[in-house]
Amino acid sequence: MNLKNLSIDGLAALYRKREVTVTEIVNGLYQEIEEIDGALHVYLTNCRESALADAQKVDKILQTEDDVSPLAGIPVAIKDNMAISGIRMTCGSRILENYKPPYTATAVERLKKMGAIIIGKTNLDEFAMGSSTENSGFFPTRNPKDQDRVPGGSSGGSAASVAAGLSVVALGSDTGGSIRQPASFCGVVGMKPTYGRVSRYGLVAFASSLDQIGPFSKTVRETARLLEIISGFDPYDSTSVNVPTDDWLSSIDGGVSGARIGIPKEYFVKGLDPDVKDKVERGIQLLEDIGCRIEEVSLPHTEFAIATYYLIATAEASSNLARYDGVRFGLRVSEGNSLQEMYRQTRMTGFGEEVKRRILLGTYALSAGYYDAYYLKAQKVRTLILRDFQEAFKKVDLIVTPTAPTTAFKIGEKTGNPLSMYLSDIFTITCNLAGLPGISVPCGKDSFGMPVGMQLIGNHFREDQILQTAHKFEEAGGFEQ
Amino acid sequence: MKISTTDLKQVAQLANLEVAEHERQQLAEQLSQIVNYVEQLKGLDTDNVEPTAQVQINTTPPKRKDNVEERTGSSNTHNKGSLFKVPRVITER
Repeated sequence: MNLKNLSIDGLAALYRKREVTVTEIVNGLYQEIEEIDGALHVYLTNCRESALADAQKVDKILQTEDDVSPLAGIPVAIKDNMAISGIRMTCGSRILENYKPPYTATAVERLKKMGAIIIGKTNLDEFAMGSSTENSGFFPTRNPKDQDRVPGGSSGGSAASVAAGLSVVALGSDTGGSIRQPASFCGVVGMKPTYGRVSRYGLVAFASSLDQIGPFSKTVRETARLLEIISGFDPYDSTSVNVPTDDWLSSIDGGVSGARIGIPKEYFVKGLDPDVKDKVERGIQLLEDIGCRIEEVSLPHTEFAIATYYLIATAEASSNLARYDGVRFGLRVSEGNSLQEMYRQTRMTGFGEEVKRRILLGTYALSAGYYDAYYLKAQKVRTLILRDFQEAFKKVDLIVTPTAPTTAFKIGEKTGNPLSMYLSDIFTITCNLAGLPGISVPCGKDSFGMPVGMQLIGNHFREDQILQTAHKFEEAGGFEQ
Repeated sequence: MKISTTDLKQVAQLANLEVAEHERQQLAEQLSQIVNYVEQLKGLDTDNVEPTAQVQINTTPPKRKDNVEERTGSSNTHNKGSLFKVPRVITER
């Protein structure tokens, strides 16, 4: 049974028609993983034992009860920076190679309550720092569409698991584009909600003012369904916002006639791959054909976004990663004579290059004499970027851009130059800085057959408009154009 | 702004990170390149702009009763109950 062609509703229907059991699907899936994941490296940890136990439970429930959630029995992959009690969580790092969390992330708990089957923990760039999954402390994941290419990052494993049919849906996290960019590279749907919409409890913090959990799926409808389940106020997350979760599943069937779409002129400049530009422009044309009104907008501070992000994110990361010191959990290297030596040796051995680079950069930006010029300055530019969007959203409902300047690049192509890797985040980063929701949907392929992604950005807490328009785009054939 | 290997050593000390001798030069160069890139923010006029530390700050975060929740933590081999054994903290007289 190939999950590549099954959506949540499709599989749920098969269960209810008794054509297949959850246990059969899960067993079949682990067989598939054995056959193809040796090459793809999507999963870091398989949860076979607990998955089969859960599958049996769900099978019993499906036999006896009528009103069961469509998520029951659906195989889900979870990025390995979200805690599940008793199951190894590495964050893609050697420093947590054998760590088992004592609690479960709220977003994962909510899926489990609906009967979802957690298949395994997926590969990522170490501590979510990266745009290609090549920074994983273990191995790179390969793009299922072309195994010489990256799946994107940092949620490369989760994106690839959905694209390869190794799960039906997945959860990832997005700090600077880490859901949207791999969704674009792998040809699936990936969404980052408004900051505060989904609880961060149980998500290992990279940059606390930017991180959000979000879903991967093949269709917009599944994303709407997942978002409904994982969203909502959580008292365990002090940044969780108490706004009601909308009934997105019902509202996505509404019309988009007259929806105003802004195309920011600063996003269509040189450096944008011509195939990507072509496909996204066709996507915008399709949006117009289905009834949207297209107009140009300006986000004048776009060019400063990457600099702003790499100061704020690294500063926050340097603080968040200070806890990995070998004292209470994780790797401990105690060859030295003192506590300080233990800290330094542990962190030198346990952290990869990119993580070290970002911690150092963040520490520098926060250090005495540089704090005002770098970190504080970046926070002020962040306000300017936020204002750009607030101005634009006075005129339009959605902003549409390419998700990434290129399609999936080859493994090893950008690892020699950190800055060039950072520049691939240019279109996704502003969403995180401004706390806005954004989705990436497939939008055709380039001349090598690699997926192109189109991004729709909405105003704060207006996931409804994003999902509605993205759904109509999908229905009109936008994904395959 | 050029970051020297001496600067790097100081920052590494602040971050409790050790950087191997053979990595120092390249890392200093990479960081210099990144810092040079982010310097472009200096040209922007932000005189009357408030910094944004976090978007949508909960102006009235919810409160709860101060109850202690017992939780069995994941242990490494160094703990005895709630205490953790570490190498000596004070190394100088």
